[in-house]
Amino acid sequence: MNQAAPQSAPPPAPSSAAGPKAPVTRPLWIRVVSAQETGLVAVILALVVGLYFATPQIEQVDRTTYQAAGTVVADLPDGFTVTTPAATGGSPKVLTFKEADGYEYRAIENGAIVMRKFQANKFLNAANLLSVLTAASFIAIMAVGMTGIIVSGGIDLSVGSIYAFAAVVGAFALKAVVGTSGAPVEGASLMLGILVTVAVCSAVGAACGFVNGFASVGLGVHPFIITLGGMAVYRGIAFVTTGGQTIGPFPENYIKAFGKFEIFGITPVPMLLMFAVAAIGWFILSKTVFGRRVYAIGGNEVAAKYAGVPVGRAKVQLFVICGMLAGLSAAAYLGYYGAGSSDAGQGYELNVIAAAVVGGASLSGGRGSALGAVLGAIVIQLIDNSILMLSIDQNYKNIVIGLAIVLAVVVDQTKHRLFSGARR
Amino acid sequence: MKRFSVLASLVAAVGIAAVSMGFGEKPAAPAAAPAPKVKKSYTIGVIAKSQSNPFFAPSHTGALDAASELGKKLGTTIKIEWRTPVSEDAQKQAEAIEQLVASGADGIALAASDAKILKSAVDSAAAKGVPIVTFDSDVPDSKRLAYVGVDNFSFGQSIARELGKSMGGKGTIAILAGNQTATNLQARVSGVRDVISKEFKDMKVKEAYYHPENPQDSVKTVEQVQAANPDITGWAMVGGWPLMTANALDKVKGKAKVVAADALQAQIEYVKKGEVEVLLAQPVYDYGHTAVTLLMDKIVSNKSPKDPIVKAELVPVTGKNADEYAKNWTKWLGK
Repeated sequence: MNQAAPQSAPPPAPSSAAGPKAPVTRPLWIRVVSAQETGLVAVILALVVGLYFATPQIEQVDRTTYQAAGTVVADLPDGFTVTTPAATGGSPKVLTFKEADGYEYRAIENGAIVMRKFQANKFLNAANLLSVLTAASFIAIMAVGMTGIIVSGGIDLSVGSIYAFAAVVGAFALKAVVGTSGAPVEGASLMLGILVTVAVCSAVGAACGFVNGFASVGLGVHPFIITLGGMAVYRGIAFVTTGGQTIGPFPENYIKAFGKFEIFGITPVPMLLMFAVAAIGWFILSKTVFGRRVYAIGGNEVAAKYAGVPVGRAKVQLFVICGMLAGLSAAAYLGYYGAGSSDAGQGYELNVIAAAVVGGASLSGGRGSALGAVLGAIVIQLIDNSILMLSIDQNYKNIVIGLAIVLAVVVDQTKHRLFSGARR
Repeated sequence: MKRFSVLASLVAAVGIAAVSMGFGEKPAAPAAAPAPKVKKSYTIGVIAKSQSNPFFAPSHTGALDAASELGKKLGTTIKIEWRTPVSEDAQKQAEAIEQLVASGADGIALAASDAKILKSAVDSAAAKGVPIVTFDSDVPDSKRLAYVGVDNFSFGQSIARELGKSMGGKGTIAILAGNQTATNLQARVSGVRDVISKEFKDMKVKEAYYHPENPQDSVKTVEQVQAANPDITGWAMVGGWPLMTANALDKVKGKAKVVAADALQAQIEYVKKGEVEVLLAQPVYDYGHTAVTLLMDKIVSNKSPKDPIVKAELVPVTGKNADEYAKNWTKWLGK
């Protein structure tokens, strides 16, 4: 088995931030400044501050607070009066809203809602930041798994297809539990539905990952080739099993109980999953024996092998983890969007690899971090969002993001050379 | 629901009705007295399927034109936010809906890439008081306000009628059918079969041929099918894929008549050359225009269309009107 041997002529020692025996002699400030995550946090802060000053104040709408407020009964010179529907057991109340305070109502299908208008920064407001973080979540969850593989010197091109395959199989299983008639499901099958979504999607993802890892290690073929094939095969199976049709939609109350669970006016589930995966990924990669082995394999596979690291087993485990996380991301997608399509995640493998690489993972192995991957995904989403915020023509989006990714990696490598120059 | 002010609503409704009918009449007074419910500005999001498909470009222009026309008549500013993903991605469309709702958009026009994925986003936007009008591709069974588009079954029927006419009511036709799983295309195929079997006794359908929906694969399909079946004397193309190349019909011309769906710029060359009899164009410009008009009706005067399905009429493009029709594209792509 000689795949994934380090490409660079003298194999670089594992980097300071990550290596098994990082010297602690360097001053703290250098370690902080040279840490992968610091640069990314700085970039995120710079983007946030820049966008805050570059975007205007606009009118925002708070649609949650007074949703389904009842019937508008009177129009006053400076506002209006609303009777709220009789709450459970209570009697209807009459509320008066003043237009001067920004209140406005709008008719909806069965009643009216009262909205509050207020001025807020176009970029820096809860709704926009939430949407950026949610969009980043689906990519970031997969990017953590990808980082593990990249650190070991491998690659997984099949995550986008695993995402679709897991979503489709999960959707079939979920359909059996909650149905797709649109009728609300009651408590027990609701919980079961959520469990089934997470369990089935993750299991399918893990199985695909195992096939990737086992084939790559067992056949001695570079994972680029194996997962390139997997990319086509998994999406192909997803397409054949569904006949290209989307499975769903699942009942609204299932979506509200899982992917779009709402608290304090935000829907935190994809985001929380992302942070949890980041924390666990950070722990595994930097605090466990397994994690140290991954860096050792990526640093110098031959040396790691002679040092007694079970290289093959560790690689298979990495692919299983990466596949499982792609499945978990697919579960979040099912819960959030309420239907599964074999078209899901087209091209996401490149977004995921971009997030990992912007997050500091080196494609020649030995370097990278789970937190970096998540921050990388957020940076890319922020750049994407900034194009919207600055009202730049959407057609330029791909150009800007492509350049930003290359720039981020070049800057990162330059910084890395400067701060760890003594060690190279 | 009771109207808070019947009078104000009426004034606004009459004004909007006049505007939406496209009549030249000016509304009684544009700044309709105190005009209580016409705000200073409105934002309408427009989400088509993909930036890389020129098919949707006219819907953007149509939306912009409707916005400036209605804006003038109502004495307000209507801003169009174009939020179409670079390539087709229903998940990105759902994200765009959420972002538009969160950032205070007043209405959304959507060409849905996947009805089931988008249903939840459409329903929750409607529940938050943001009306959605779908165009080109519907989200049926959702709380969308209306759907503007062609009926795909009758689209297929029209293709078959044009083809039957040009073939003199005799011969064998092949259907170029695109992706087997696309429900809109399959409805068109059924429409073609329906008309051929009922209205043209001396014609028959050889088969519907499926293929990946790109120019290269569709040309390959046409050429191979024509070579293997010399008895085919007509092609009903329910999509315009092969005609996006310059010489798709080299193996077909002289042997079979062709009628195809849509009339993008590249396709129009074929009717000019006489290799295609008729192109049936969807009024994509009107999709954008009508969607914005319906949305403003709803937003300003809470008026919903009587029938939520607003049927659009196809425009036949032949050798006679090709040059004139081609000029539209200059206008549509100009913005």
